[in-house]
Amino acid sequence: MADIKLGITLYSFTYEYLTGQYSLEDCVRKCAELGVDGYEIVATQMVPSYPYVSDEFLAKVLEFEYKYGVRPVSYGANTDRGKLFERDLNDSELVNDTIRDIQNAHKLGCKVIRAQYLLSPENLVAIAPYAEEYDVKVGIEIHNPETPSTPVMERYLEAIEKSGSKHIGFVPDLGCFATKPNIKNYEGALKKGANQEMLDYAVNLKRQGVSRGEAEQLLKDAGADPFVMSAFYDMYGYLTFHNEPDLEGLKRIMPYVFHFHGKFHCVRDGEETAIPYPEVLAAIYDSDFSGYIVSEYEGHSLRADGLIDYGAVEAVRRHLEMENRILAELEKK
Amino acid sequence: MGLQMRIVLRDILRKKSLKNYYLRGQVEGFQFEVFLANYRGHFLSTMEQLAVSIDDQPVPKKDILFCLNGKEFIVDDLKNQSNEFWNIAVPATIKVRKPGGLEKGTHKVGLTLVLRNPYLPKPGSSEPHSYIPINSSDEQFLELG
Repeated sequence: MADIKLGITLYSFTYEYLTGQYSLEDCVRKCAELGVDGYEIVATQMVPSYPYVSDEFLAKVLEFEYKYGVRPVSYGANTDRGKLFERDLNDSELVNDTIRDIQNAHKLGCKVIRAQYLLSPENLVAIAPYAEEYDVKVGIEIHNPETPSTPVMERYLEAIEKSGSKHIGFVPDLGCFATKPNIKNYEGALKKGANQEMLDYAVNLKRQGVSRGEAEQLLKDAGADPFVMSAFYDMYGYLTFHNEPDLEGLKRIMPYVFHFHGKFHCVRDGEETAIPYPEVLAAIYDSDFSGYIVSEYEGHSLRADGLIDYGAVEAVRRHLEMENRILAELEKK
Repeated sequence: MGLQMRIVLRDILRKKSLKNYYLRGQVEGFQFEVFLANYRGHFLSTMEQLAVSIDDQPVPKKDILFCLNGKEFIVDDLKNQSNEFWNIAVPATIKVRKPGGLEKGTHKVGLTLVLRNPYLPKPGSSEPHSYIPINSSDEQFLELG
């Protein structure tokens, strides 16, 4: 049976942080009020001394930990392969940047790093000795449209297994198990004026497994409006969905999973509107997983779009309540 | 522009930030503040386009300074700043050299600001160094008090 802890990524408070309503301290205090003891920090978003962790910043983090009893458990890294103006970073530069991320995470006391897929399987293996030295686990994020079984992730699995290291693996984003269109791409599109019949046509093309190129042509030929087309591109991209969640794939990689992003956009009547949390949490519960699922709220614009009438704190509260309810039900079984 | 990122949760061109700036008692030009239209910060070397217009007149590139972290960069030098980070919570100041500055009143400020999103390659592209752009451009009527 798994040892599941619930946390929050401060990315959930993106709207409040960017508009100046919440400072970093406010974000950490909200985590305490929401009842968790660990948070993830996206370094490029909330570490002012990025790409370094200054002593001054560390002092703040420790002060907040002392005051609120909440500490950073995961460091969200960005694999910025394209940061130079004239060329992509080469392997050695990508490895160096990741070593710096490992040292940053270590300084903050985070035991987990979320890395991104531009760090190749070979580079992930190359940083394993550093991950081991600092006892920080580095996981490649599995984000829509990838799932645990897509070819890109298969290559990581092979490299990780071959390496024998326990310090490299995966950070699945639960959004990759979505089985319905995202609220933004269905209710949001309708609200903006999308033709419902055409939108349902787009959803059905995705459900029937029609390729992106073919579906795009069919929709254009049928005269789909720009709101439908915009939703269509998301449904075939970073907000895609599948008829069945890839839970078999998840089971296969679970020995190498030490952290999850509990992605959500909207929890309504105790359910996430697109992601089947009961099934997904049951699969995690039945594994040997030990670590955090951090609530990752991505509905930053839903309130402005008139789809919901509450902010990030209430959204996260609903998400944690849903997870706790599902986990309690699993416990009873 | 095709597929692009643009996350506007607050004003890009900051209201009330337009003002004339002084050097040794003389008005040297005008300035305004800009937030990045994204959820995270970026290295300045990811900036691909930076241009300014005032009251529909393009500003010559040589008159623009991009000011951040206590430094003032000329436009053509931004691409070399791969270790200079633009924090998402901090506005940059754009200074435009214009001796005498702007008249009091409302001015139309135009900003073209496009960056590479350095961790998001364009889908389906096999070209190296081809990333989804972040469009942080804006156009606003700002009041100079």
